[in-house]
Amino acid sequence: MAEVEETLKRIQTQKGVQGIIIVTAEGIPIRSTLDNASTVQYAGLIQQLVMKARVTVREMDPQNDLTFLRIRSKKNEIMIAPDKDYFLIVIQNPTD
Amino acid sequence: MCDRLANTASLEKIRRKKQTMADKSDLKAELERKKQRLAEIREEKKRKEEERKKRDVRSQSETRKKSEAVPEDSDLDHKRRETEALLQSIGISPEPPLVPTHVSPPSKPGSVPSEVGRQDSTDGAVPGRTLHWDTDPSVLQLQSDPELGSRTQRLGPSKITQVDFQPRELVTYSKETQTPLAVLQSEDEDEDEEILEPAPQLVPEPREEEGKQEAKEAPPRELTEEEKQQMLHSDEFLIFFDCTIRVMERALAEDSDIFFDYSGRDLDDKEGDIQAGSNLSFNRLFYDEHWSRHRVVTCLDWSPQYPELMVASYNNNEGAPHDPDGVALVWNMKFKKTTPDYIFHCQSSVVSVGFARFHPNLVVGGTYSGQIVLWDNRSHRRTPAQRTPLSASAHTHPVYCVNVVGTQNANNLITVSTDGKMCSWSLDMLSQPQESMELVYNRSKPVAVTCMAFPASDVNNFVVGSEEGAVYTASRHGSKAGIGEMFEGHQGPVTGISCHNAVGPIDFSHLFVTSSFDWTVKLWNTKHNKPLYSFEDNADYVYDVMWSPVHPALFAAVDGMGRLDLWNLNSDTEVPAASVTMEGCPALNRVRWAPTGREVAVGDSEGRVWIYDVGELGFRRGAPAQWRDSQQSTSESGCSRSCLARWLCLMLRTGPASSARWRRSGPIGATLRRKQLRNWQDKGGHPHPTPPLHARQAGTRWPPHVSNPPVC
Repeated sequence: MAEVEETLKRIQTQKGVQGIIIVTAEGIPIRSTLDNASTVQYAGLIQQLVMKARVTVREMDPQNDLTFLRIRSKKNEIMIAPDKDYFLIVIQNPTD
Repeated sequence: MCDRLANTASLEKIRRKKQTMADKSDLKAELERKKQRLAEIREEKKRKEEERKKRDVRSQSETRKKSEAVPEDSDLDHKRRETEALLQSIGISPEPPLVPTHVSPPSKPGSVPSEVGRQDSTDGAVPGRTLHWDTDPSVLQLQSDPELGSRTQRLGPSKITQVDFQPRELVTYSKETQTPLAVLQSEDEDEDEEILEPAPQLVPEPREEEGKQEAKEAPPRELTEEEKQQMLHSDEFLIFFDCTIRVMERALAEDSDIFFDYSGRDLDDKEGDIQAGSNLSFNRLFYDEHWSRHRVVTCLDWSPQYPELMVASYNNNEGAPHDPDGVALVWNMKFKKTTPDYIFHCQSSVVSVGFARFHPNLVVGGTYSGQIVLWDNRSHRRTPAQRTPLSASAHTHPVYCVNVVGTQNANNLITVSTDGKMCSWSLDMLSQPQESMELVYNRSKPVAVTCMAFPASDVNNFVVGSEEGAVYTASRHGSKAGIGEMFEGHQGPVTGISCHNAVGPIDFSHLFVTSSFDWTVKLWNTKHNKPLYSFEDNADYVYDVMWSPVHPALFAAVDGMGRLDLWNLNSDTEVPAASVTMEGCPALNRVRWAPTGREVAVGDSEGRVWIYDVGELGFRRGAPAQWRDSQQSTSESGCSRSCLARWLCLMLRTGPASSARWRRSGPIGATLRRKQLRNWQDKGGHPHPTPPLHARQAGTRWPPHVSNPPVC
């Protein structure tokens, strides 16, 4: 558990990283480095998006599955690594 | 009806107000004043009201009470009587209502002070006053009643009842939960072949599930803290985290900006400035703040399956006694991320490490305690998946050599420790060695092995270097199992040995190079027990040497002064073809070529792994020519440098004290030399790192047959 904390702290200090959120598959955040309001917002919205993306991938080819999702916007980049039970979301500002 | 209730309510209010009053006497004068004012205002009001009443008898009045009052006059009277009776029973004289709801604007400011006046007045309500009050004619009537007005107020303390009404809780459920359920339901539908069956179920199911979801949402949000902690400690979460964080770090480290616009912007420094013409250029540095600090890199190995992966083992960190003593980190060359891909621990310092050649997931480590440990990168744990027992059947001395030899189907792990014991293991079962052998020379003294090398494609014969400075050939099986011949030449412990393993038209597998504490690197042929050539360009202990895997005449050597030398036998045997000194001059402990022959990894005594690119020097230009040249160069007999020439070179390079040191030789001489070197450093000699010079062999246990071992 301490390793998890240590790792999160290390990533948080990397350049450009704005926040890290760990969410369960239902969209409930269990660990976050952002404030509560943003966390809940991100968690809810991203969970829906991941579901949608997963369905898209699966529908095109049922043998396929979603492994990584990267949303690039004008101001930042949201990277989502979904798993069966959890998602790891990292928000980064890559031009920093 | 409501009139009466309004009356009672207002009267209740009045009563309450009165009860809160504290001091009557102080306010009497004020009250009198106010009363007079009020009387005037009331008279005016009453006049106005009467006028209005006459005007708007039939039409709809502004106030409900007025309209009510007109047709229900008789009723009102009746009600008034009742209220009077009520009030009398309570014992309060009638007072006008505190909140005149339908008072016309001009009269409003007047009504407020009238209330106050009314509140505070206890005795002294002038009898017979006609009161003008818009709102409540009944009350006015009461007030005008002289009997009631003259009655004094009896006040007494009464308890205050405070009632708190909590704000009404609005329970809302977000409708978001419906969407994923609908999606999931549709997924199930797709998967189900019978579409009819799920269809009717879908309708009640989403509702049920929605209800469940809503119900679920409420409890998790309450239990979130505990549940969160539980989840974060669960095994599955750790597995998920371990895998995902690796991927995420690689993604984070990629900083290529796909939107970069070359027009109209300042061009940043372009990456990849190729230093044309330089042979050895710095590529990158692997160092981990937590796990590499204050540890010496004891061994390096490149992965045979994935040429970008490299494992480095570290000994213990004296500054962090609670951290595990032995650490092995797997670094990745392909990505820019600066943290290791895998971190492995074990309880004892790891002194040798290697990827298991035929098992891509396994990393083998030999430790200072004699245990062999096996790490598996498939599990998310950092501790070894398997380890050998600490028993007499296995090793009890530090294991400096681990090597997997054989073929895919028949392979063994060969390990040799410093007490001369060689064990052969199967990677599936490390609980006991398959076979073990004592490496004894002449059936008398066991050999204290410090390094070992197998020639290419040979599983039986190998060469070992020992602490006394002798090199031996040995074989595992056969009639001459054990130590074969001895090669004498070095005057200090042999630190590194490497067999020629470049595959080409001419077989050079009988050649090997060794490095030693006597500042030299020697080239040998297995057929002769005297060295073919001795490379003496170094001014400090040479800690490791390795042939290039692709170039037949190239090898790398590292020494304690931070120098990495590349020797090309085709060009010059007196000086290295390329040489570079590391920043800060740490003692370099290990050198390993990448399988491609284009990169060299160097481990130093401060936990850093330096990766250098080998330029044109490392490439196979005109391969046959290189091989021919190599043949020529290696057939030359020993060097013809005179002692004088040697001395001169050394003096020019290192300093005056070196010549005196050079005179002495042998292991004892080495000790003395070392001591002198330290003294010289203390007096401000050339910069040299403070970590022990015996980086790899810290705390080596000398075998019993060595009578006076040099003292560190």
